[in-house]
Amino acid sequence: MEQEFRIEDRIDRGLSVITVVGEIDVATAPQLRESLHGVIAQGQATVVLDLLAVTFLDSTALGVLVGGLKRCRELGGELYIVVADARLKKIFEITGLNKVFPIVDALAEVGAP
Amino acid sequence: MIGEPEVVASETLVEGDRVSLTFPARGDLVVLARLVSSAIAARVGFDIEELEDLRLAVGELCLLALQGSDARHGDLQLEFTISEDSLDISCTHGGAAPPRGSGNEEGAEADELSEQILSALVDEHGREQEDGSVRAWLRKRRKGPLA
Repeated sequence: MEQEFRIEDRIDRGLSVITVVGEIDVATAPQLRESLHGVIAQGQATVVLDLLAVTFLDSTALGVLVGGLKRCRELGGELYIVVADARLKKIFEITGLNKVFPIVDALAEVGAP
Repeated sequence: MIGEPEVVASETLVEGDRVSLTFPARGDLVVLARLVSSAIAARVGFDIEELEDLRLAVGELCLLALQGSDARHGDLQLEFTISEDSLDISCTHGGAAPPRGSGNEEGAEADELSEQILSALVDEHGREQEDGSVRAWLRKRRKGPLA
């Protein structure tokens, strides 16, 4: 039953990128919160969250993303979401968060700072 | 020559059948509820999109039942009831829970998102508190009657 869950962060073309692999739910969202807040606390106002390898997302995860977005914007930055899976996009759409987050299909679509 | 794969009848649950699942009320075990809901949805003839909708909805149902608790006490009891035109699912948490929105800002945000997700994915849903337990429930109607 144990499923792979992994978070990595790196700098790509001057952008702070966090890549998540696996399911983000009530059990794993705290790890994402810690990673996201940690990167922002290091002074990265703009963060790219790569969810291309994420297979499931629930409301707890969305709550963490909204919290991260607020922190980024308070610092004058942005939280980009990279997501291509139709199921995950649907979750953003039904919650209206597709109008709140800048969502792109690929990392390359996020311009360098 | 390799023939067509044998089609296995998936509609093995019929009207009146009930399935129960009880597990410790812990967030890391909510995945069990999602797995079982997928298996049941497939066996009552929901299509893949409905099945995925239910997987997400049942996870949210568990979160609503756990909401406000420390998620370390009591059990979550899920009950799946198959009727002619719908699948009814209830999730009961025996642990006492304070009123909705009593957590931090992020938790309140997540609760609101749970409600939005359920409203979009299922036909009816609700949440009740009684005698120190919380019961969240949903109803997902099938596009057609059971075969």
